[in-house]
Amino acid sequence: MIELRDVAYAYPDTDRYVLDGIDLTVARGEVVGVVGASGVGKTTLAKIIAGFIPNVEGGTLDGSVTVDTVPISSLPLAEAVAQVGLVIQNPFNQISGAKFTVREEIAFGLENTGVPREEMITRVSDVAKLLRIEHLLDRSPYALSGGQMQLVAIASVIVMGTPVLVMDEPTSQLDPGGSRMVFDIISALTDAGTSVLIFEHKVELLREHADRIAVLADGRIVHQDTPRAVLTDDRLESWSVGSTRYTRAARAARDAGLTNPEAALPVSLSDSTDYFTTQRAGR
Amino acid sequence: MTTTLYEDRESVIHRLNPVTKLVAMLSIIIIVFAVQIWWVALGIIVFVVVPAAVVSGTGGRLLSLSLKLLLPILIVLVLLQGLFFPEGTTVLAEFGPARVTVEGLMFALGIGSRIAALVLCSLVLLLTTNPALLMTSLTQKGMSPKMSYVISSTLQIIPAFHTRAQSILLAQQARGLRLKGNPLRRAGALLPLVSPLVLGMFTDVEERSTAMEARGFSSPATHTSFVIVDDPLGQKIARWLIVAIAVTSVVLSLLGVFK
Repeated sequence: MIELRDVAYAYPDTDRYVLDGIDLTVARGEVVGVVGASGVGKTTLAKIIAGFIPNVEGGTLDGSVTVDTVPISSLPLAEAVAQVGLVIQNPFNQISGAKFTVREEIAFGLENTGVPREEMITRVSDVAKLLRIEHLLDRSPYALSGGQMQLVAIASVIVMGTPVLVMDEPTSQLDPGGSRMVFDIISALTDAGTSVLIFEHKVELLREHADRIAVLADGRIVHQDTPRAVLTDDRLESWSVGSTRYTRAARAARDAGLTNPEAALPVSLSDSTDYFTTQRAGR
Repeated sequence: MTTTLYEDRESVIHRLNPVTKLVAMLSIIIIVFAVQIWWVALGIIVFVVVPAAVVSGTGGRLLSLSLKLLLPILIVLVLLQGLFFPEGTTVLAEFGPARVTVEGLMFALGIGSRIAALVLCSLVLLLTTNPALLMTSLTQKGMSPKMSYVISSTLQIIPAFHTRAQSILLAQQARGLRLKGNPLRRAGALLPLVSPLVLGMFTDVEERSTAMEARGFSSPATHTSFVIVDDPLGQKIARWLIVAIAVTSVVLSLLGVFK
C-alpha cells in the first residue's frame, strides 16, 4: 500500500514547490490512475514514490511517503527499489544497453538482486508469456520497434515482482491492442495483490481498468474519485485533462441544448448508447 | 548497425570459453613481442591464427579486415625501414639517398610480423566471441559487474546513438537543412545536429541511470548470472599452460636469451 500525506517537493537550489499538499493512497491490489497536463509534475511524483527523490536527485521533500507503512525515503535505494518497481516514460532508456538479447535484458534486474538462475529462467519465461513477447526473446533489445521495446521495458520491471508498481505513461508507444494488453496485465497483477499507480493520458483505458483516478494540476491533487465521477466532471478541461470521446459527444449535445442538462454524462460506448437512447425517448 | 565484429557460427573455436580465447590472445601477443624472432610471429600466424580462422569459418572476413587494417601499416613499414634503416649495411638497391638494405627489410619483417600477429589474433577473438558471453565469463571470473556494464553498454549504445543522430539529421533535413556543397559548408550544416544530440544524450544518461537503479543496479546482493558459460577443466589447464609459456618467454627475453 502506498500512502502520501501532505507531500511537497522543491527541486535542488530552488524555493518553489512544484508539488504541494499531495494526499494520495493506493491500497493493496488497487489501480489508481493519475492524469494531468504535461509538465505538471507526474514524473517527479513517480520518482518520489519510487524512492529516487530526494535520495538520488536531492531537493526538499516534505510530508510523508510510505510503502506498507515504511517511509520510502528512509530506505537505502536498493531496498526502496525492491518495494517499488518503476517503469519510466521512455522505453529506450529503460533498456540497460548492456545485454545482447531480450531474454538477458529482462533478467538484468534479477541478476543484480541475486536471484538464483533457475528462478530467473522461470520468471523471464513467465513474464514473456504474460506480455506475449516470447518471439522477441532472442532478438537484440535495440533491434525492436518502439512498441516492442516498451513491452520489454515493462517486462523488465514486472519480472522484479515488487509489491508496488509505478508506471509513467507505460503505453505511450503502444498501439490500441498493445495498450489494452498492458492494462489487462495490470488488472491481473492487481488481482494478485500488486498496488499500481499509473500516470497515463489514455483516459478510456483508465476508465476501464482504474479503481480511482486522481487529477494532478497546479502541483496538487485537485480531484480524485471513481473514473466515472472524474471523467464526467465539467472542470476536467480547465485542468487540461481530456475526457472520453463519449463524454465529449454527450457534453457537446448537452451544451447545444439537445439533451437533459441534469442527466449523468456517459463514459463508455454502452453508456453512450443508453444515454442517447434515453435522451431521444425523453424528447 | 553494430559495433561488434562477432559472427554467430557453430564451430570449435566459437564454443571455446571466451576467457580461454582472451587469455590465448593476450599470451600470444606477449610471446611475439617478448621473443624477438620474426619467424615465431609468422609461425603463430600460419600454425595458430590461420587454422583457427578456417575452422571457425571466419577466414574470408578475417582476410578482408586484415587487408584493410594491416596492408597500409605493412607498406609504410617496409618503405620506411627497408629504405631508410640507419644501421643497414648490406645494400640490395639504391634510389638516390634511399637504400634498400637486408637489415632494414629484416627489421620491417620482424616488426611487421609482430603487428600482424597482434591484429590477426585480436580479430579472430572478436570474430568468434559473443561480446555478451565474454562479459558474462569475465564477471564469473570476478570482474566487477559495473565494469562489465560499462564495456557492454558502450558496445551497444554507440549504434543506438548513431540511429538517433540519423533521425535528428532527417528531421533537420525535412526543415530545410542542406548537406550539399564543399566540406566546410557541410561541416557547418551539421552544427544544428550537435545540440539536440548532445543535450538528448545528457537527458538519456540521467533517465537511464534512474532506470538502472530501479532494477537493482546498486544492490548489495551478490550478483547472479542468467547465462552460464561452460569452463571445462581442459580449458582451465590450457589457459595456465599458455600463461606459463608467455611468462617464460618474458623471463627469457629479460635474460637476453633471444638477442
